[in-house]
Amino acid sequence: MRTVYLYHLLYLLLLVVHPSSVSSWKRDEFRNCNQTPFCKRARSRKPGSCALIATDVTIADGDLTAKLISKNPSQEDQEPIKPLILTLSAYQDGILRLKIDEDPTLDPPKKRFEVPDVIVPEFLNKKLWLQRVSKETIYDDSEYSSVMYLSDGYEAVLRHDPFEVFVREKGGKRVLSLNSHGLFDFEQLRVKNEEEDWEERFKGHTDTRPYGPQSISFDVSFYGADFVYGIPEHATSLALNPTRGPEVEDSEPYRLFNLDVFEYIHDSPFGIYGSIPFMISHGKARGTSGFFWLNAAEMQIDVLGSGWNGESSILLPSDQNRIDTLWMSEAGVVDAFFFVGPWPKDIVRQYTSVTGTLALPQLFATAYHQCRWNYRDEEDVENVDSKFDEHDIPYDVLWLDIEHTDGKKYFTWDRVLFPNPEEMQKKLDAKGRHMVTIVDPHLKRDESYYLHKEATEKGYYVKDATGKDFDGWCWPGSSSYPDMLNPEIRSWWAEKFSYKNYVGSTPSLYIWNDMNEPSVFNGPEVTMPRDALHYGGVEHRELHNAYGYYFHMATADGLVRRGDGKDRPFVLSRAFFPGSQRYGAVWTGDNSADWDHLRVSVPMILTLGLTGISFSGADVGGFFGNPEPELLVRWYQLGAYYPFFRGHAHHDTKRREPWLFGERNTELMREAIHIRYMLLPYFYTLFREANMSGIPVVRPLWMEFPADEATFSNDEAFMVGNSLLVQGVYTEGAKHASVYLPGGQSWYDLRTGTVCKGGATHKVEVSESVPSFQRAGTIIPRKDRFRRSSTQMANDPYTLVIALNTSQAAEGELYVDDGKSFEFEKGAYIHRRFVFSDGKLTSSSMSQSFHGKSQFSSDCIVERIILLGLSPGAKSALIEPANREVEIGLGPLHLRGGRSPPVLTIRKPNVRITDDWTIKTL
Amino acid sequence: MKMKIQHVSFLAFMFCIVSIGGSASTPSKSQLEGIAPGDEKYYKASPDTIKCKDGSKKFTKSQLNDDFCDCLDGTDEPGTSACPNGKFYCRNAGHVPLSLYSSRVNDGICDCCDGSDEYDGKEGVTLRKREVEAAKLAVVKEESELSKLKNEEKILKGLVQQLKERKEQIEKSEEKERLVKEKEEKEKKEAEEANVEKSNFVEEANSQEGKLAESTNEEKIEILENSQSDQDVIQDYDDSVGEIAHFHNSGNGGSLNSSAEQENGDYADRAAKTEEESSVTYETGRDHGTEVLPDHGTELEKYASGNTESLSREELGRLVASRWTGENTGQQTGGVDAANDDDHESHEERPKDVQDEEYQGYDSETEDDSQRDDDDTKDLVEDFGDEDHGDSSSPYKSESDDELDLSEKTTSNPSWLEKIQRTVRNILEVVNLFQTPVNTSEAAHVLKEYDESSAKLSEILSRISRLTKKLKHDFGPEKEFYSFYNKCFESKQNKYVYKICPFKQASQEEGHSTTRLGNWEKFGDSYRVMQFSNGDTCWNGPDRSLKVKLRCGLKNEVTDVEEPSRCEYEALLSTPALCLEEKLMQLQDKLDLMKKEQPQSHDEL
Repeated sequence: MRTVYLYHLLYLLLLVVHPSSVSSWKRDEFRNCNQTPFCKRARSRKPGSCALIATDVTIADGDLTAKLISKNPSQEDQEPIKPLILTLSAYQDGILRLKIDEDPTLDPPKKRFEVPDVIVPEFLNKKLWLQRVSKETIYDDSEYSSVMYLSDGYEAVLRHDPFEVFVREKGGKRVLSLNSHGLFDFEQLRVKNEEEDWEERFKGHTDTRPYGPQSISFDVSFYGADFVYGIPEHATSLALNPTRGPEVEDSEPYRLFNLDVFEYIHDSPFGIYGSIPFMISHGKARGTSGFFWLNAAEMQIDVLGSGWNGESSILLPSDQNRIDTLWMSEAGVVDAFFFVGPWPKDIVRQYTSVTGTLALPQLFATAYHQCRWNYRDEEDVENVDSKFDEHDIPYDVLWLDIEHTDGKKYFTWDRVLFPNPEEMQKKLDAKGRHMVTIVDPHLKRDESYYLHKEATEKGYYVKDATGKDFDGWCWPGSSSYPDMLNPEIRSWWAEKFSYKNYVGSTPSLYIWNDMNEPSVFNGPEVTMPRDALHYGGVEHRELHNAYGYYFHMATADGLVRRGDGKDRPFVLSRAFFPGSQRYGAVWTGDNSADWDHLRVSVPMILTLGLTGISFSGADVGGFFGNPEPELLVRWYQLGAYYPFFRGHAHHDTKRREPWLFGERNTELMREAIHIRYMLLPYFYTLFREANMSGIPVVRPLWMEFPADEATFSNDEAFMVGNSLLVQGVYTEGAKHASVYLPGGQSWYDLRTGTVCKGGATHKVEVSESVPSFQRAGTIIPRKDRFRRSSTQMANDPYTLVIALNTSQAAEGELYVDDGKSFEFEKGAYIHRRFVFSDGKLTSSSMSQSFHGKSQFSSDCIVERIILLGLSPGAKSALIEPANREVEIGLGPLHLRGGRSPPVLTIRKPNVRITDDWTIKTL
Repeated sequence: MKMKIQHVSFLAFMFCIVSIGGSASTPSKSQLEGIAPGDEKYYKASPDTIKCKDGSKKFTKSQLNDDFCDCLDGTDEPGTSACPNGKFYCRNAGHVPLSLYSSRVNDGICDCCDGSDEYDGKEGVTLRKREVEAAKLAVVKEESELSKLKNEEKILKGLVQQLKERKEQIEKSEEKERLVKEKEEKEKKEAEEANVEKSNFVEEANSQEGKLAESTNEEKIEILENSQSDQDVIQDYDDSVGEIAHFHNSGNGGSLNSSAEQENGDYADRAAKTEEESSVTYETGRDHGTEVLPDHGTELEKYASGNTESLSREELGRLVASRWTGENTGQQTGGVDAANDDDHESHEERPKDVQDEEYQGYDSETEDDSQRDDDDTKDLVEDFGDEDHGDSSSPYKSESDDELDLSEKTTSNPSWLEKIQRTVRNILEVVNLFQTPVNTSEAAHVLKEYDESSAKLSEILSRISRLTKKLKHDFGPEKEFYSFYNKCFESKQNKYVYKICPFKQASQEEGHSTTRLGNWEKFGDSYRVMQFSNGDTCWNGPDRSLKVKLRCGLKNEVTDVEEPSRCEYEALLSTPALCLEEKLMQLQDKLDLMKKEQPQSHDEL
């Protein structure tokens, strides 16, 4: 008996102590759908319950406009429903915009919030002015429908009764539709009845809800879709699992509500730091389409598994491979965009034509960042910096977390720990390195703090429901939050970054915005109360998800102004919203040092890329907890391919700089970081591609192989650009990994040069690195010399790695500019296309000609050209126009790393990257 | 190949230029670059081919240091950055030789004291750019400082005036008091003499009066002390530093952070807070040893039972914050929290006494630092300056000490003026109530404050005039000569030591006698010459003058001084400030033209 008892006790203790057995995520601190009245209500509505019909269809200002009215007007027990105004507009490249709002002429109690400064101004110039609308009777409708032109292959249809909007291929198959299941509902603002109680209570917090219910919900269907993707940020799979339907047990919808979630779990539809209400569908049958709802209030989105509506659906041929979704938002208006694709890259191009493409980062920002909460003082900083040199590990940026400040008052320094911040930065700068300090939106309510004083006097803080400055608790204790919705306040904030105002800052200092969801420790769900008031009487509930975006925007603007518009800003933000890509990088927040978080980082980053945010990464090593050396090594090996590559750690964790885990592990982590530096020219070229076209730096396999079904739900591997495939190793003690290599062409192992067939799964040895392959038919530019930081690599020569496909051809690109200024916008860059065919490599310029504007020149040369898959026989090569012969011999594939197989190498062609030339193998 | 040859010969050409003055022992780029002396015979052993040291392959002599990596172990590229695994041997003339990672070769950063790892000519351009950036920043900073100082001057002048009036008032009343006393004594004497009989009565009265005066004095001192101690809490930095020490002495090992924060935080608040409370609130993990405090424990219990609603807003804020800061989570979740586990782990690995030692170290540093705040900062600034600009011709700072001193005082501590203002206001308020007899401690206070303020004022005035003077100078089209302002360059030529202080003066020293070669006049020849004129008069000749010709070089260095015609001196100063990209390109173009081996391949247009 006794032993059994002891056994049990021991077991219990084990259970209690084992860290992974218990999640510390405070689930009940956050509202689920049932505790959220608008969500509960929308979810319980029956299909077909929408009784609106479209009338008064006309063309005004080049748009189609209509009124939505109730089909069965004035039932006695109900208030009469006022008509809603609907507008449909077509934009270039197959984009349909749908707006639905209350009729402003009917005097609503309040203007509903439309999110400003997200849509780029250029987009509005792309509007197609509608000339006419044709009429057509579809199905057995009693009313006809209005059909409008969208693009050469597509048209938009407004079905009057029942009300429905859809996009179809010209006269043919449906692509996307809204309200096909009659779930559309629009709660109009109204005057409160005496007996009504509009307040909502949660966990001791009361939301006064002075304007009452105002939610909007509707269903959206994607046709010819095998999967849907997007709507970050969630820690979950890339292909979104259904949240409702016959096979789904009691699940929450995907929630979009920016929250600072302590120790978020690795697989949950729960909302975390950022929100992008943009969903993409992809399927073998049709390709790709997308739907974006510009709305900053809390949103909940259900992905409905097939059969979710039981028998009630009418089976049409187009219903095959249809995915239905339900979108619910607490406030705002309908401002939705339909994108027709038809291919994955079209979708991101179309979406980023609305919200903007990635701002081109400075070159240094694409290299490795070293962070920790906290590098304690100047001595610590100097020590860490010199250790990198001692171990010949490059890094570009050293980060300082909140402890560097004087009492968590941002823009100040703890003068005991950091007496000479300028000198410290200059020392780093002398090695071509940079520093980043943290600046959060919560300002300490301390009368002696100049920012607080100023913000108070000028009335720049967000107000609480009673109109007083909102007072919440964050790192510094009692804090207030500048109202970033107001452009004047953003401008004021931006000025705080001038060298004069930010005492102790130098030109090599850049910024990190954390806690901008905003995080409020003593607020409901660790954020700001929804009835807090912003500029223009906007309620916090209406703009919550965009608060961090405006903060990010103002900070980035501050850095641009600081450098007289000559220096590209770098600002990392935790919260984000559509358009954040224009202001800097984001990271996936406070993850944990476990294998699951390593694994989920890939779908999270891929999803961000799909929704425009190309410059993202996860904390390498995991923020909370101590990673085992093996996990840390694996994380570096994967992280080296994240667009944003930063090591970071919580202050209670042990130090984990790459040299602290024995020689072997140091070697592996150094190697991983070196790979990133070696590939910087390739990465930078990809960042430029994202800057021009919106196509993300890292991509799901299906973006490059849209017809290969095996890739559609693969989120353990990903593409870096169109040439590299990388897969992490996500399990402990793995010696081998199974890697699916898509497409019909072969792949070359990045480390060994071994050829692998495409369209097959391969068992790959992974003891020294993670699987990484170059796709046949591509050319990757590298820099094989290693330096302390990317800065010193500027003049180093290039290596081109040409991986030939079955027709002995390949092509690639190289983009180079000064790496920091905006001169590239005026044409100061080099953009080359390399094409190899018929035994000849040609370099030609891709830059558009800019006459007499800015120019960028470089003396860089190509020192080595590696030819993978070339039929044997070539002994030398002829360079034209110089008419010079160079030798082809066997050389190493990699200059680092012990075992490097000999590969065909053109030795010292020494052609300038700025020049046109050809190199012919003889 | 041609490109490369041109490149190398261009480099050689650059070296010729740089070493004309015969300044440093710049090594020519020989094939044996970067090879350790003991290793040279390995490379010289066989006539044409050399083996990679790892035995992997062979390479020809022409492949040695040809800037292309043939051996993975770097055997063939000891003098270039081509092989990542290579090592560069740095002779480091005059010092201990070093073995550098190949990644340091020609990366624009000097790692060898003899500069041999940076033989590429582009370095100067980089240095110049850096100099220009730094200068621009510094000028902006100084300009803003100047306007700030001027503003402060205005305020301070007002204060000094007020204090002066007060001082005079005090002096006047003291005088009055003295006269009254004298008069009294005189009267007393007269009375004594006149009326001996009444003496008893008079004595009694006098003693009573004295008592009265005493008691009012006491009261007043108390008032004054109170107000002073309030002030101390608000503004006295040293006191809070004292408190840091106190925290440590009381055994609260890691509270440096919290007390440091407090020191800058809301002092009125702080007074109300207990020490324990604050260490929980503000502590952010440096304090692993903090015990769970009873009242916090109940908070946590409340929380664990799901009853956060009964927490105050502040308690809730602190509680949520404590999750990230990793405190007391043990109670919260019964010891299951991962972070908490880690906490324990780290305790095992890092024994507490190590931390304590660390923090004790900080402790004393902190104390010293802030006590000698100004001196220290100055030292550091100087140290850094030396590191940054230190080179063989040993430029040194001229008359910069007091400048930096004040600039630190005034810029690093923006609130000193407020402090003075507040102090003065308090004094004036207290002293306003004064009546005769004058309280001596009050008077001393006013006098002290007056003296200090006027000293400060004159300090500011002189800083203003120095700054104004400095900023009037022309530091070049891109301010590239800014850093010259506080520098002097020396060169020893035979028995003479020449000392050139740009923007100031130049001199020639022989033993203890100094001859002035001239005062700063201006830049000439589009900033390629510095002119000094009106030096000591030559016997039977003109006033001495000096022309300093400038040219591109990696260091600031006077390489040559001559006297081509009597009393007209000429010196050569090499400096990165003259390293212009265009210049380098022009040189290269010239060279290319000379070669005429192939049509020019200009940059893509």
